[in-house]
Amino acid sequence: MNIISCFKVVPDEQDITIKPNRDISFEKAPMTISAYDLNCIEAGAQLAEAFEGNLIGVSIGAKKIDDSKLKKNVLSRGPESILMVADDFLEDLDTYQTANALKAAIQKVGEFDLILCGEGSADLYAQQVGAQLGQLLNVPVINSVNKIALMEGKVIVERSLEDEVETIEIPLPAVISVTSDINLPRIPSMKQILAAGKKSATILSALDVGIGDFGATLQVIETKAPEQKERKKDIIQGDSDEAIKSFITKINKVLK
Amino acid sequence: MDFRFTEEQELLVESLREFMSREVTEEDIKTFYQEGAVSEKFSKAFIEAGFGFLGIPEEYGGTPADVTTLMLVGEELTRQSAAVFPFMSNILNMFDMVEFGRPDQIMTMMEIYKQTGKPAFSLAISEPQGGSDNSAMTTVATHKNGKVYLNGAKTWVTHGNVAPWTLVVCKEESPELTNKNMSMYLFAADTPGVKFSQLHKIGQTSTTFCEMYLDNVEIDESALLGEKDKGFLQLMKNFEVERLLIASQSLGLAKAAMDDAAAYASERIQFGKPIGNQQMIQQMLTDMEIKIKNMHNLLYEATWRHDNGLPIKLESALVKRYCGMTATEVCSDAIQIFGGLGYTTETRVSRAWQDARGWQIAGGTDQIMVHIAGREVLKKYKK
Repeated sequence: MNIISCFKVVPDEQDITIKPNRDISFEKAPMTISAYDLNCIEAGAQLAEAFEGNLIGVSIGAKKIDDSKLKKNVLSRGPESILMVADDFLEDLDTYQTANALKAAIQKVGEFDLILCGEGSADLYAQQVGAQLGQLLNVPVINSVNKIALMEGKVIVERSLEDEVETIEIPLPAVISVTSDINLPRIPSMKQILAAGKKSATILSALDVGIGDFGATLQVIETKAPEQKERKKDIIQGDSDEAIKSFITKINKVLK
Repeated sequence: MDFRFTEEQELLVESLREFMSREVTEEDIKTFYQEGAVSEKFSKAFIEAGFGFLGIPEEYGGTPADVTTLMLVGEELTRQSAAVFPFMSNILNMFDMVEFGRPDQIMTMMEIYKQTGKPAFSLAISEPQGGSDNSAMTTVATHKNGKVYLNGAKTWVTHGNVAPWTLVVCKEESPELTNKNMSMYLFAADTPGVKFSQLHKIGQTSTTFCEMYLDNVEIDESALLGEKDKGFLQLMKNFEVERLLIASQSLGLAKAAMDDAAAYASERIQFGKPIGNQQMIQQMLTDMEIKIKNMHNLLYEATWRHDNGLPIKLESALVKRYCGMTATEVCSDAIQIFGGLGYTTETRVSRAWQDARGWQIAGGTDQIMVHIAGREVLKKYKK
């Protein structure tokens, strides 16, 4: 049983700062695993442990994703190995380009039974890559999965919809995007952290996996933090009809 | 010179932060302090996450970790919580057990520790008349008809009344001042003749400590732990690491106090601006930061020495004295920045201050550290 957990490497949001001109600065933010992909890695690890499968972590991105601490971080969470395609033009890709690059990386892995993705990325949260990857690999694909039961040649998954739980049987191989409430990602112990340093990580260039420069389809003009407004400090006291009326009038005025 | 920690150490600290944010709240901590005990759930979680096995040999289910890593855990655990938990001293007690115990004694203690995450045994060393002066110890073991009889009184026995076992250090046969033969005996805390009386601390109240009375306590000769007559010498071996471990928790308390006080200084508005804009507050914060950096550098230079096989007799005493005294100063300044609020039980800084004060006494007073370091300093600079 070969399971692949895809993960995105993003700047650690805790250390993203806002400059006086409202530009968002990543200067102090180290690269880390996209938060939603922690659930995807955990889901893969639990299935691999339960079914004696082999879990591989796969990621694509700029050269900086080839970060020693980051790789240990991923490997301490369950995967037996990592495969990364790291090239500087694999940055700021659109979702379809990302799915294409992941497909090329996965083809290097070889045979797979199940590919897991997170529900979206922590930076862009487009929620498209899983679906597009399934389409590119020409295998069944489903998203928003919050429970997976693995069986011989198939999986039975659950999705919690607005007022029903949908249970779906899918033949393998397949691509599944999991929600962030599918599990609580493990907290790596010292034992797991130490073991991570001994696991294998393969870093390939775009050329190695047969992809060229996709060409930019997206151009980020600017990313600004919302403008901070001074609080109005307009306090209405009491619970009289008049006070409530005044409150509603003011709210309505602002909302219009 | 590279001041960075290893990637593994950084990842472990990140794990610990995540663990703390998931497993314990400020409300929980307040309850632990009121009830005099850390909850079973939290103790068990700490052990299950693997933190409680750091530095214990793998053959007993532990995970290899150097002293620097252990100190990082001690510091971060204390910093995240602004509180002192028994976990680090539990680990240290297990070091003594693993080092000097027989395999059957180690297995029994490890089993209890693994199941509960709570201390398997208390360590009874100090006596009413024999604290820092251990030669004045008068608890005695006498040997009759293949049995050992213990008589005497111990004090400041952490977890004495809650741990299922106790490890008592006593003199062999005679309480004479000149008698240097001490041994360690491990036995069940509910053995007939053992009585406890709880003492009440002003800080670090998430752990209890008590007086312990030994009235003709009959135990088997097999209760001996380690070598007969060499008890105190054996224990002394881990005293240096204990000093560092206490210093790491002093540092953690100081950093926690700084975290809260500096944030408060930016938020608290007086005279139309944050109090952090006032130079007298900035001076306090600046001096607190210098002290924290000094504590940090002094501590981790000593752990680096230890992990590289260099002696730390002088360094461990310097670290313990400096960090103990300085953490109290930093926490006290943090209270000052909070003003009236800092003197209430509503802030973490008041708890940190009470707890920091305790580390100036436990594990060897500030003055005993001078007694140890002073002679070493003279030796070091002798021409």
